[in-house]
Amino acid sequence: MASVYKTLSKSKGDQSDGEKEGANGGLKRNKQRVLILSSRGVTYRHRHLLNDLAAMLPHGRKDVKFDSKSKMYQLNELAELYNCNNVMFFEARKGKDLYMWFSKVPNGPTVKMHAQNLHTMEELHFTGNCLKGTRPVLSFDAAFEQEPHLKVIKELFLHMFGVPQGARKSKPFIDHVMGFSVADGKIWVRNYEVREVEKVKGEDKEEAESTNKGKKSKLGDKDTDVSLVEIGPRFVLTPIVIQEGSFGGPIIYENKRFVSPNQVRSDLRKAKAGRHNVRAEQKREGLGKRASLGLLKNGEKKDGTGLDTRELFA
Amino acid sequence: MAKKTAPRIASKDKKATDTKPKKQQKAAEPAVEKLFEENEDEWEDESDGEATKPTSKKAKGKKSKKAAIAPVEDESSDESEGGHGFDLDLARLDESDSDSEMEDADGNEDSESEDDDEEEEIDVDDLSIGNSSDEEEIAATTRVRETINNKDALLAALKRIQLDTSSSVPFAYHQSVISVTPTADAITSIDDDLARELAFMNQSLEAARRARTLLRKEGVPFTRPTDYFAETVRSDETMDKVKAKLIEEASSKKASAEARKLRDLKKFGKQVQVAKQQERAKQKRETLEKISELKKKRKEGASSALGATEADDIFDVAVDNELKSAGKKRSFSAGEHGNPNAKRQKKDTKYGFGGKKKHLKSNDATSSADIGGFSAKRMKSGGGAGPKKPFKAPRLGKARRKAGAGKR
Repeated sequence: MASVYKTLSKSKGDQSDGEKEGANGGLKRNKQRVLILSSRGVTYRHRHLLNDLAAMLPHGRKDVKFDSKSKMYQLNELAELYNCNNVMFFEARKGKDLYMWFSKVPNGPTVKMHAQNLHTMEELHFTGNCLKGTRPVLSFDAAFEQEPHLKVIKELFLHMFGVPQGARKSKPFIDHVMGFSVADGKIWVRNYEVREVEKVKGEDKEEAESTNKGKKSKLGDKDTDVSLVEIGPRFVLTPIVIQEGSFGGPIIYENKRFVSPNQVRSDLRKAKAGRHNVRAEQKREGLGKRASLGLLKNGEKKDGTGLDTRELFA
Repeated sequence: MAKKTAPRIASKDKKATDTKPKKQQKAAEPAVEKLFEENEDEWEDESDGEATKPTSKKAKGKKSKKAAIAPVEDESSDESEGGHGFDLDLARLDESDSDSEMEDADGNEDSESEDDDEEEEIDVDDLSIGNSSDEEEIAATTRVRETINNKDALLAALKRIQLDTSSSVPFAYHQSVISVTPTADAITSIDDDLARELAFMNQSLEAARRARTLLRKEGVPFTRPTDYFAETVRSDETMDKVKAKLIEEASSKKASAEARKLRDLKKFGKQVQVAKQQERAKQKRETLEKISELKKKRKEGASSALGATEADDIFDVAVDNELKSAGKKRSFSAGEHGNPNAKRQKKDTKYGFGGKKKHLKSNDATSSADIGGFSAKRMKSGGGAGPKKPFKAPRLGKARRKAGAGKR
């Protein structure tokens, strides 16, 4: 009887709680855990990037290097083992190219991207810093709402890079912004520290904003403005494919603008070889021309009459 | 709720598109767009029953037009079916040892996907059999690289995982901000690093501002108090290095600026020096000219009347006058500096600059009669007032001095 009462009262309390909190009560808790791991053969830069990202994600679980190139579906089991519903997999190829896989584990989707222009936090031209485990503000480009595949990618980023509310080890303040922008068919990822500074001349703008948002936002110290300082890491992602399943399943998007780095390198090599080939060809042509004109190697003309002194007295 | 409907819609949408041959996909894209719009509406109101009906009808219509491969699924196919399908899919994944699905985005991938799309409808058991032949066939047909953009499937996949980020949800739940304008618009050239980074930063800055106002409205702490210390993302060593680098940069900048200033000054100083030298040379030339002129005059006029010495004196005076009138600037004593101090004047009279120096130090009648410096007392006491000298033996004669030196 007591238990029944307990459950009843509990449910009632829950309901009232939900009503009190408004929308929050009806929301499902955002539970995300990200398995972060790399393949074998990553360079130090890739490794540092992975460490940086792992440091920023308190809901992340770093694992040892995954030792298989072909059996990627094993990652699903691995994620299940660690109770993760997201996988961020760094696949290194040829010891130089980095592919990043973002996957929702039980049943997809999976996005594979090519990562370029990596800059890690270790680099000294980033001057910002932030607490470990604070929840970032995720800033998405408006372009993410325009294409379905970008929508999917945005959702995955939201799950993986956004620290869920009340995550373990997360800290209660907000001191950094992660920016995702789309430009040139690529996704540019940046991470900035939010610094509160004394407000300068741009007061009118802020005021306009506050009037737009309503006067309620006046609480807190309004005399500060925010400025951004980059923390790093920074990298550029080119989406390659999106699979419907998790590390498997049909491909539902393929980027036609993506050119594999192997292709780029081979083209470069070919262009280089082409230069030599052209030169060799020219040389051969020149020789042929001279031969047809009857010009010898030493530059004397060989006449066909056979009256040349050398031929006469040979 | 969303989860319930997701698999069903996914399968239907797939049917709608997958039954079409690949080449016709482009032509059929408007229809796909419509579908997409309706889907979007559905997310907005989140009522699955009403919204799914039009899409499913559409899908059905298409099915009837194109030869449907799969048996028509009932509209009331429940959640378990969808779930079952996925289980099977996963099982298949586990079974198939081939890495084909995980391969990179090469040409045969789209063929793969086509395979899979069809397979999902056909039967799970047929998969392993028909795989290889199909693959070859399609690989042959898709030599020309065609890319896939299956919008319905993408949206279905999105719907399956989507978090609610609408305005009804508290902002602190997701903390994501979508910019008002696409950032790409602000970037004129992707190779212009500065402009590009500025555009990215502006996007994030706008997001930070909006997030701050929203979070403050919700009463979520935003600013970290100054006395709140915790581990940071970047270690203290790194930050020290960063600081050192900044300092070094600033100091080097300062040093270079200073060096430049000095260089400029030097350049300017040199100019001044050159100008001065030129001026001096000019003056010298002028005076020499004047002297020669005077010499000429003297030779013409005064050679007959006056004696040689007298003429010389006159000449000197004349030269002095000339020089005084010409080079007033050059005279140090009474020039722009004014009169020098008394000490200098005295020294000038003593060592140079004015007056005769000959016999200056020798006595004359007055100096020899002057006994101002003589003190009888001092003479008697042997230096009473002056510094006391130690006793000094009188100087001996030369011979005795020499003898003494030899003894030593």
